[in-house]
Amino acid sequence: MIELRGVEKTYIRGAEQVHALKGITLSIARGEFVSVMGPSGSGKTTMLHILGCLDNITSGEITIDGMSASSLQEPQLVEIRRKKIGFVFQQFYLIPGLSVFDNVSLPLLFAHEKKNHAYIQSLIELVGLNHAAKRKPHQLSGGEMQRVAIARALVNNPKLILADEPTGNLDSENSDMIYALFADLHKRGLTIIMVTHNSELAARAERVVRLKDGLIVRD
Amino acid sequence: MPFLTFAFRNLLRHKVRSFLTLVGITASVAVLFSILSFNKGFEKGIVKELDQTGIHFMVVPSGCAHEVASLVLHGAIIPKYLSVDVVSRIRQLDDIELVSPILVAQLPNPAKDRVDLVYGMDLKHARQMKPSWIIDGSLPARDDEVIVGAEIAAHDRLKPGDMISYPNKSRSFRVTGILQKTGGQDDAFIYMPVKTAQLLFNKPDGATAIGVRVAKPDRINAVTEELSAQVPGIQIVTMGQVLSSLMSLAASAKVMSISLAIIAIFISTVGVMNAILMAIFERSQEIGMMRAVGASRLDIFRIILKETILLTAAGGCAGVLLANIGSHGIELLLRKSMPYAPSGNMIVFDPFLAAGCVGFSVLLGFLAGVFPAWKATKISPIEAIKG
Ligand SMILES: Nc1ncnc2c1ncn2[C@@H]1O[C@H](COP(=O)(O)OP(=O)(O)OP(=O)(O)O)[C@@H](O)[C@H]1O
Ligand SMILES: [Mg+2]
Repeated sequence: MIELRGVEKTYIRGAEQVHALKGITLSIARGEFVSVMGPSGSGKTTMLHILGCLDNITSGEITIDGMSASSLQEPQLVEIRRKKIGFVFQQFYLIPGLSVFDNVSLPLLFAHEKKNHAYIQSLIELVGLNHAAKRKPHQLSGGEMQRVAIARALVNNPKLILADEPTGNLDSENSDMIYALFADLHKRGLTIIMVTHNSELAARAERVVRLKDGLIVRD
Repeated sequence: MPFLTFAFRNLLRHKVRSFLTLVGITASVAVLFSILSFNKGFEKGIVKELDQTGIHFMVVPSGCAHEVASLVLHGAIIPKYLSVDVVSRIRQLDDIELVSPILVAQLPNPAKDRVDLVYGMDLKHARQMKPSWIIDGSLPARDDEVIVGAEIAAHDRLKPGDMISYPNKSRSFRVTGILQKTGGQDDAFIYMPVKTAQLLFNKPDGATAIGVRVAKPDRINAVTEELSAQVPGIQIVTMGQVLSSLMSLAASAKVMSISLAIIAIFISTVGVMNAILMAIFERSQEIGMMRAVGASRLDIFRIILKETILLTAAGGCAGVLLANIGSHGIELLLRKSMPYAPSGNMIVFDPFLAAGCVGFSVLLGFLAGVFPAWKATKISPIEAIKG
């Protein structure tokens, strides 16, 4: 479903160039559960952003669903982000003034789509928060906030979930719960790519990709 | 949840900041709306008052053009008098319908330790000369009867039937009517028949000014030309000239006050821009997240712009409302500080003007919002949400 071929990414920071990715070749099939590991600064986040069409690449080739994405312009990339990909972040990024329900519905605003109440409610139920749909983020625990963020990532019915250290801010009990949620989504047929520092969680995935210094060292 | 609701929720997140920004806009739009309403009401008031006046032009001693403006509408003391025969010479001209001499003078009142203002006029012409007057009681029928302005009546607790006496002149007058409050200088005068005033001040046939009505309005020019050719030492002021001199007086005040309002609006608009920029700066991670979950640059632009416009439009509505609530107080204040004010309400609610002011606030929101909104679209999602 997603293919990277010889992808390089170079950041320009003042006068110096930072080679964040130095030639990544990776192929991810529909329905895979991949965890990405590697030391800090190895390029995990950079790779995830490129997979999520949030960042352009310096050289190489990227193909999504058989379609080359390297030459796509911003409007098409926005379309892909809206329809095909769900993002989950370490810091959740929920909007403080909005209820759980409204936070989950937020991407629909940008997709200019209407989904019925029951559909949103079913997603909230899926992540186990039906008792808290009307609460504001500050009334939730970290684990609950991340579950809201996962429900939000699912609202546009994407095929691919990209998660950047989703359990990085959580204790082990909540981490287990979030992992179990991803495993459940995986069982329902979603493709999941999860960056994590937690080797125990990573080991549970069917495939582990290891990065070091912008290169894949183990797959 | 539509964009607008979302923008509204975002504003509610910083209640104090949004409120303070709103106060700035509200205050400046209120000032602008008051000033514009006032100018409109003021001009309308003058035109109406001059329209109602049944005279076409005033004859005054030469060199007093400015005082005439206030004399025509409300009494003013002019220290010069017209020579005795002017009235009869005007009457000899063709097409003259009405000649009404006016004598305005000061009358010492030692009993009350003040100087009274006396306005002598042909009270038969009161309806034509002073169309906005409402009198409690009746017009004087005899030479020793007067009507008094509301201020004097209130001060001396006069009512119809009372007497005012001037022992120094060995005269006393019976009050037949009280002039209802006009809000202008008329309130401070004692009105008596012009003949009585002429005798009282020892100026038989003397006049401070003479109001003239021509039988056919299209003859006004011909009559005034003839008159100034025949009679030396007079000046003729038509109602059109009075109007334009009052308007030019009002115009300079208008420029001043509108400039002030514009400066206030400029400052509050910068305040709005600042508040929105701050909010964007604080929310850059959130904006990055929105980009990641599918928001286009245009979506971000729209959200920020809607927030700004919502803020200024609310401020605009509140400002118009505030100006209306406070209009009575503002009117009193203005009357005190103006050399001339027409009777009736000067500040009149005009729905078109109100809509215009709200529309203007929307425009301000747009102007204040474009730059921050554009800034927000430049927020790089990957910078904002680095994991
Ligand atoms: N916008 C940027 N400008 C310059 N350099 C950058 C930028 N983003 C990332 N880098 C650099 O690219 C390299 C890879 O960064 P990246 O964030 O992908 O690492 P990571 O594997 O996600 O690390 P961590 O585990 O700490 O999150 C780092 O050396 C980082 O300093
Ligand atoms: Mg990272």
